[in-house]
Amino acid sequence: MALEKRVFRFLKENKLRYLSILALIILGSYTFVVAAGLSQNLSALVTTFTEGHMQEDLSFRADVAVPDPDLAELQKSADAIIEEYMSFDVALSDTLTLRLLSQTEKVNIPAVTEGQALSGPGEILLDPAFAEANGYPVGSQIEAAGKTFTVAGFVSLPHYIYPLKNVNDIVYSPNDFGVAVISREEFSDIDNAVSTYSVRFNDRTPSLKEQAVQLRESLQAEGITVSDWTDIMDNKRARMVWASITGMKTMSVPLPAAMFLLSCLIIGIMFWRMIRQESVIIGTLYAQGYRRRELMCHYMSIPLLLALAGGVMGTVLALPSIGPMVMAMVTYYNVPVPGIQLSFINALAAILTPVLFLGLSSYLVICSELKRAPAELMKGDRQKTRVNALERAFKLERFKFNTKFKLREQFRSISRLVFLFLGVTSASVLMLFGFTLMNSMNHVFNTSDVYQFEYEYAFRDLQFGEAPEGAEAFNAGKFYPENNEQIEFYITGIEPDSTIVTLKDRKGNPIPNDQTNITKSLADRLGIEAGDTVTFISKEDGKPYTFHIDAVADSYVEQFIYVPITEFNEQMGLPGNSYRGLFSMIKLDIPDEKLSGMKSMSELPNAMDEFMGQMNSMVALMTIVSSIVALIILYLVTSLIIEENRNTISLFKIFGYRRREIRSLILDSSTFVIVAGFILGIPAAAASMGALYGYLGNMINLVLPAIVSPLYVAISFAAIMLTYQLSKLLCARSVEAVSMSESLKSGTE
Amino acid sequence: MFIDVANLKKSYTTGVIKTDVLRGIEMNLGKGEIGVILGPSGSGKSTLMNIIGGIDRGDSGKVTVDGTEISKLSDDDLTEYRREEVGFVFQFYNLVPNLTVGENIEVVSNISKSPLNVDEVLTAVEMLDKKHRFPRELSGGEQQRVSIARAIVKNPKLLLCDEPTGALDYQTSRSILKLLQVVNKKFGTTILMITHNAAIADMANKVFRLRSGEIVEASVNQTTVAAERIEW
Repeated sequence: MALEKRVFRFLKENKLRYLSILALIILGSYTFVVAAGLSQNLSALVTTFTEGHMQEDLSFRADVAVPDPDLAELQKSADAIIEEYMSFDVALSDTLTLRLLSQTEKVNIPAVTEGQALSGPGEILLDPAFAEANGYPVGSQIEAAGKTFTVAGFVSLPHYIYPLKNVNDIVYSPNDFGVAVISREEFSDIDNAVSTYSVRFNDRTPSLKEQAVQLRESLQAEGITVSDWTDIMDNKRARMVWASITGMKTMSVPLPAAMFLLSCLIIGIMFWRMIRQESVIIGTLYAQGYRRRELMCHYMSIPLLLALAGGVMGTVLALPSIGPMVMAMVTYYNVPVPGIQLSFINALAAILTPVLFLGLSSYLVICSELKRAPAELMKGDRQKTRVNALERAFKLERFKFNTKFKLREQFRSISRLVFLFLGVTSASVLMLFGFTLMNSMNHVFNTSDVYQFEYEYAFRDLQFGEAPEGAEAFNAGKFYPENNEQIEFYITGIEPDSTIVTLKDRKGNPIPNDQTNITKSLADRLGIEAGDTVTFISKEDGKPYTFHIDAVADSYVEQFIYVPITEFNEQMGLPGNSYRGLFSMIKLDIPDEKLSGMKSMSELPNAMDEFMGQMNSMVALMTIVSSIVALIILYLVTSLIIEENRNTISLFKIFGYRRREIRSLILDSSTFVIVAGFILGIPAAAASMGALYGYLGNMINLVLPAIVSPLYVAISFAAIMLTYQLSKLLCARSVEAVSMSESLKSGTE
Repeated sequence: MFIDVANLKKSYTTGVIKTDVLRGIEMNLGKGEIGVILGPSGSGKSTLMNIIGGIDRGDSGKVTVDGTEISKLSDDDLTEYRREEVGFVFQFYNLVPNLTVGENIEVVSNISKSPLNVDEVLTAVEMLDKKHRFPRELSGGEQQRVSIARAIVKNPKLLLCDEPTGALDYQTSRSILKLLQVVNKKFGTTILMITHNAAIADMANKVFRLRSGEIVEASVNQTTVAAERIEW
């Protein structure tokens, strides 16, 4: 059909505009395929690994070694596999720690990802990130615990997917810490190794939580005192990866949907205009005997071609990038990667969704015009001079002419206004989202305000008496709110005149430690305010304890309630001078066998730098992507405004308007919509951050403040306005190109 | 003379074909006079008017308006010339559709150094009561009145009208012509008008007949006829 030739001519005439729409569709399809592919692959890899290698459901330490017959009995009564493993932290240097773990056979079974499994004494399997960061290839040798080990291979462990040194840490650095597996026999001559029991229930259908409670009761009945009881759901080493997976899964829908929706809006607007301009031709074609179906096919071919091309290109670009991206994620999360699965369904969805989105919106627009009678169509443009409700509603008399003109220009097309507003808001939210996340992380990890200690020591057994010089004693227990066992936190008894824990209120005023204080993160999560009296259940004994909250400390570092240690001991029925840990300014000489853990604050900056480095790259990427989206949207809207105003621009030229006056009237008319869209983007970003943080709180027990920093708002605003200037620059030539003869030749109002 | 055109030539080249649009035009019009250019389509009327209005340029010759040789002006100076000295009235009104009547007039008063009061101008064209209407809510005659109001609000020395009654019915056309005469008398504006309608020539002080880019006849009316008495 001769008409088909017009399709490519349409595309050629407005190359840049159609390319911009194509870019939005490509971005949408690409994001969908990558985010969905990443989350599905990671999810499959983690699930296969944790199920295939028997990830523990919980772990605990016992005050005494559980004899084998008792262990067998316990396994039978709890219908679980319980396996003991040994661990020992080796300081390879002042800042580098390697945790040696004994090889297990039933629970947390190591997966060798490179090299060979352990085949004899003197061999070691290393966490690959640690090996790479510290230069230990397969076959190299490593000195640890007074022995020389040969690196037999690299290993993934189901309970150390994200190898944090302490279970409550948030970030890890392979430059500071790593895990390794050696044979159990190697531990026979390592003193002070820690014994931990890993438990995995056989029946996966009932609540694992309930089974855990029953096991705990059985242990108590056996007279075994347990400590460091850690459910896998509270274990960031295992759960952090799920936060990323769910994050990707969540990202895989709204971002592409926003892109497709914006594409629909703009293509709808463009087609509305095009069809209106074509009305005489359509009427003529009708009159010549063309059927509506034939004309529909003709006009629909443009959006369908764009959607199909964008969908295919986005998918084709995305598919090969899934593999490298999964491998990049695996450098943070240590899981074996037997293969990458590319989903045919995802690819099909990425191609068909834009076709459906754009097809439907264009169909509705085209249909509305094609249903008019040929004679009516041949009369020409009926819409051009129509005044819409918004234009009528606003009384603009009091404004100056320039303001009136710009406002009218925006009100002229409600769909264009909506597109611009939503587009700028989406781009601003995306940009602010990245900055706010970075800001929140910065705020959370800036611990220097709260903790003044250098070392934290946790004892295996209760200690009595005075704390050593330079140190302060603390006692702590894990609690959960009544009716919500999912939220776990520590209540810590600290010295009432502590100079090591320095809490402040919102205004920055110090809060005394001789009262009960709650950190802001926990207060937000539990909905607690100063003055509330609250009851929590102890994880240790399952009994309720009541506390009166005196103040909320402006700290997001961790989720804690601080009470004076004497009050804590009294409430918990512990001796008044007892403590379970020490905060210290100096390194203390405490025998390893007495300790269940030691944390050095000097390790945090390295991990933080590395983490924030990755975070900065992510934020930079989000800023670039959102700037590109903003540029596309602003360019499309500005070029549409110019197109719609060719006659007016021509008139302005005839009337003697200067170039900059015309540019100001036409190109600057979107400024207030952009500013309004950006302003709306601020609470929208804060709200979406709040929702994400709430989710993170539940998933990995991490509470972040949604802090929208004025500095980052200013940076984002500058980026959006810069993009706006760039789009104006791109369109300025189009304004110049409008000739005065256009209005002289026009045969309309 | 207020308008003095001497040996004005203009041609267009399309591919290999050169078309001479104006072939040595000689014409003049005094200050405060009404001039009418008559001629068939393609005779060069619009091109001549565009050059006098500073929208287009001739290839050679001299165009002087109120002592300024506009053929020598730069693009920026031509913009200033159009901005302050010339008002335009178009056959199809060329109002901005999404601006109200008042705002359409402000389009010009906004950039003028000493514009007339918008309400006064609207009163003069009998459109004050429709100041807040949009163009599509007006008849063709009313739209042309607004177009004239827009052209005169800057109090131009020269008003150029391109077929101002071309799209209007008989009665409306007469009222528009009457309005132009009122403007000419009230504000002393020199008016140059293009038309197909030879009857309109009776209201002009000078009449120029164009054919194939040449003035074939230039006549002076010793007595002009009032617009309401013109018939065709």
